[in-house]
Amino acid sequence: MALAVPAARAESVMGAGASFPAPLYTAWARAWHARSGDEVNYQPIGSGGGLRQIRAGTVDFGASDRPLTRAQLDADALVQFPAVIGGIVPVFNVPGVGSGQLRLTGPVLGEIFLGHIRRWNDPALARLNPGLRLPALPITVVHRADGSGSTYLFTSWLSRVSPSWQRGPGASDAVNWPAGIGAKGNDGVAVFVQRTLGSIGYLEYTFAHKVSIAQALVQNRAGAFVAPTPRAFALAADGVPWGSGAGEQLLMLDRPGAGSWPISGASFILMRRMGPRRAGQGAVMRFLDWALAQGDAAAQRLDYVPLSGAIKAQVRQGWKASGLAR
Amino acid sequence: MIPPKRPRDPALLRRRRLANGVFVALALLATGIALLALLLILGTLVSKGLGGMSADVVLLDQPGPGESGGLRNALVGSAMMCGLGMVLAVVVGVLAGTWLAEYGDGKRLASFVRFLNDVLLSAPSILMGLFVYEAVVRPLHGFSAGAGALALGFLATPVVTRTTEDMLRLQPHALREAGMALGAGKGHVVRSIIWRASRSGLVTGALLGLARISGETAPLLFTSPGNPFLSFRIDQSMASLPTLMFQYALSAYDDWQALAWAGALLIAAAVLAANIIGRVLTRGSFHK
Repeated sequence: MALAVPAARAESVMGAGASFPAPLYTAWARAWHARSGDEVNYQPIGSGGGLRQIRAGTVDFGASDRPLTRAQLDADALVQFPAVIGGIVPVFNVPGVGSGQLRLTGPVLGEIFLGHIRRWNDPALARLNPGLRLPALPITVVHRADGSGSTYLFTSWLSRVSPSWQRGPGASDAVNWPAGIGAKGNDGVAVFVQRTLGSIGYLEYTFAHKVSIAQALVQNRAGAFVAPTPRAFALAADGVPWGSGAGEQLLMLDRPGAGSWPISGASFILMRRMGPRRAGQGAVMRFLDWALAQGDAAAQRLDYVPLSGAIKAQVRQGWKASGLAR
Repeated sequence: MIPPKRPRDPALLRRRRLANGVFVALALLATGIALLALLLILGTLVSKGLGGMSADVVLLDQPGPGESGGLRNALVGSAMMCGLGMVLAVVVGVLAGTWLAEYGDGKRLASFVRFLNDVLLSAPSILMGLFVYEAVVRPLHGFSAGAGALALGFLATPVVTRTTEDMLRLQPHALREAGMALGAGKGHVVRSIIWRASRSGLVTGALLGLARISGETAPLLFTSPGNPFLSFRIDQSMASLPTLMFQYALSAYDDWQALAWAGALLIAAAVLAANIIGRVLTRGSFHK
């Protein structure tokens, strides 16, 4: 009797980390499962959790919205590379002012979140928006109460563009907010902003896009007021040293380029070069290789921005250099 | 001075009746508030849960974003991990409870074990998850359904131990003496007479333990955080209803939130059923 064609044994691998890319990784995993039979189980436990688990060796890959520094990478023989791009969007609730009408700059947003600008008809806001009739409504700042990659990106950007913010709360996953009310998760911020007249907050773009909430225009480094769009996020990725950089070099904040969105960010995959759970590495790399090649449509459908061809080439080069792929 | 047994004084009688009426009214009010809160919770659960309910809930696995799906993988995972956890809890709990009730009287070890068991009974469930994470997940380098079942089992064990001891102590001493008078050894008496007589009580203890763990999220977050695929492998992370609800309830997608409500309704119904069965069984044992 002739030997039957050996069925490739389906593998199960597990990843954990940032919640921002979780819907996309899950969608990719389902499509890849249908194609290959392999099961890629991604659990959204937060960027910090993802880093802890990959260091403890309890997962095959981690994910973080916050790029690791060179020292962090070297300490545990980790490799990081971007998988998808998104951005943070200031959202607000002011009667009579719709999405794409309100113009904001970094210094003004800094003053608002510091609690120094307290009313919507403040001269600083009026100067930026001569065409708008802003009411004398008090401003209610809404921020994340939980530690989050969104807060890290937003406060890192504020620290770069607003000197008074840098001297004050600074940049972190969770900062000492000088003003406003805290809400848990993107959904919490969205609900608070939707229900509170005169409020302002910040959301991940994928989330802001799904709920009906007014989005602000923000001035970028080139001086242009831009709207948060996938194209504006993609432009912010130009010129970032994806292959060789680490830490703050990989932040897509306040990037040059006339059309770039100033508060953009990538989500990173973390893998180990040595240590436990090496058996699953092949399956993870096959999955990521396929996702990079075939996953763009799924990403766009879910309002994520896929990596450009040039960045993908850099990522693949990085795989070879670190021995993750031949 | 001994007060009169029956107050003849009509004023005193009226005062006592009034006080009685006031306190009964207050007690009724408090009961009403408690019932109202319960009804509001159950009402919300049923109205929102039924909205997400359909045959797909049990036939399909959890959906991707923007797709339709069900809770099959989470139902299977919850059933398997709770089932395995209960095996551990019943074996350890019944034996420990039996030792406490039948062999431990007067021993210092027994009061020590009883004290420890009471401490465990009120330990925060997240502690069990953390313990199993450090003891099993980290050393073995991986989240797994086995670790999840272990954490749930540890959580249910003190419940089963406690109810087992209480139920065995309810059996009259004459029953033990009668067995021994017929020449049976102590072990034989416990196995064939005491356990048999308190069978429904032991089942109740197991059901109470099951009710305790079936809605638990915290121990599973550290041990078996989830799996979007239907899995029967004990060495892999498995989905469960509470962790999936935790994830879906906070999501941006309406379909996911509806599924979270459906899952909440299923858990509530299962816990309610376990409690009712437990009550019916114990009532039966007292009437016998």
